[in-house]
Amino acid sequence: MKVKLISFLPLAAIQTIYSQLSWRQLLPHLSYTFAIEKISRACSHQLVRHRVASFSQQSQRYITIKKLRERVVTPPSIEEHNGEEFNDLISRASDVYQKLVEKGVPKEDARFVLPNAAETSLLMTMNGESLFHFFGLRCCNRAQWEIRSLADKMLDEARTLEPELFKHAGPYCYQMGYCPEGRFTCGSMRETIEKYSP
Amino acid sequence: MKLRLLTNTLDIDTVVATSMLTTTSGALPSTLFERLRSNPCKVQEIVGRVEAQHGSILEHNRFVWELEAQIDEVNEILLDTSFLTFTKLSKDQWLLSGNLRTIAEYYQQKDSLFTKALVDSIFEVTPTLHQFIRSLRR
Repeated sequence: MKVKLISFLPLAAIQTIYSQLSWRQLLPHLSYTFAIEKISRACSHQLVRHRVASFSQQSQRYITIKKLRERVVTPPSIEEHNGEEFNDLISRASDVYQKLVEKGVPKEDARFVLPNAAETSLLMTMNGESLFHFFGLRCCNRAQWEIRSLADKMLDEARTLEPELFKHAGPYCYQMGYCPEGRFTCGSMRETIEKYSP
Repeated sequence: MKLRLLTNTLDIDTVVATSMLTTTSGALPSTLFERLRSNPCKVQEIVGRVEAQHGSILEHNRFVWELEAQIDEVNEILLDTSFLTFTKLSKDQWLLSGNLRTIAEYYQQKDSLFTKALVDSIFEVTPTLHQFIRSLRR
């Protein structure tokens, strides 16, 4: 997985003109475009549930998957358990996909055999408000490992380019000072807040 | 009503071109972006091929304006489109922002001094996409 913040609207570009406005008031006017690469389709499905955002994703209708075996994301839990069945399935899916394409089945139909593990890359743009919400939910210990890892990398990128603004961003317990997960709390709020403190 | 462009995201044409190629190319988006950034002619060639149905590729950017307008005028804009964001600065002064897709669709949908001012304001930032958006109203 690789993440790069390729374009954004700096807070200072507006705040120097309207110093009376707080960073929180300006969040909806800010914009961040990330190149997100080599995540699984399972992860991108979670990503697009964040509706106040824009996505341009590699299309399986147009791009032929040439070597599926080399273009899958394998969860660590599967690797820990040898992963033999997983690898067999990927090989089988790869073979069936290639055969269907060779027979003349359109890529848009051959892709029906591709697994959630297939790699994908995309551009994603969020405004500042949506991005803070994304970090609040997806940096949380209760988020699924791949999207949490993605959110952490995105936060690193954002903090590198806008450190003063994004020092306020992180999982909701860090942003709000309490855990909104109720009975599902991970119970590690203090350690989590420490982890995300600059 | 008076509109003034304050700022916008950088490399707008390059990001639009990257977005167009990302959907149909096996290359990684960051690689495409870096390649295109060093080849402005290629960017203009690609951006010159933008078509109206490719709305989402116009969403990876943002423009911020200062608007002088009365509350009734702002209400009318808000009833027309839900994709422009307003923050009140003073009685008749507003901070306004939106992306190219919103500008293009609003311009297509409504012939008014405000939509013309929105489109005209982006000319210096992106002449090619300005021309494309102007061509949508025929």
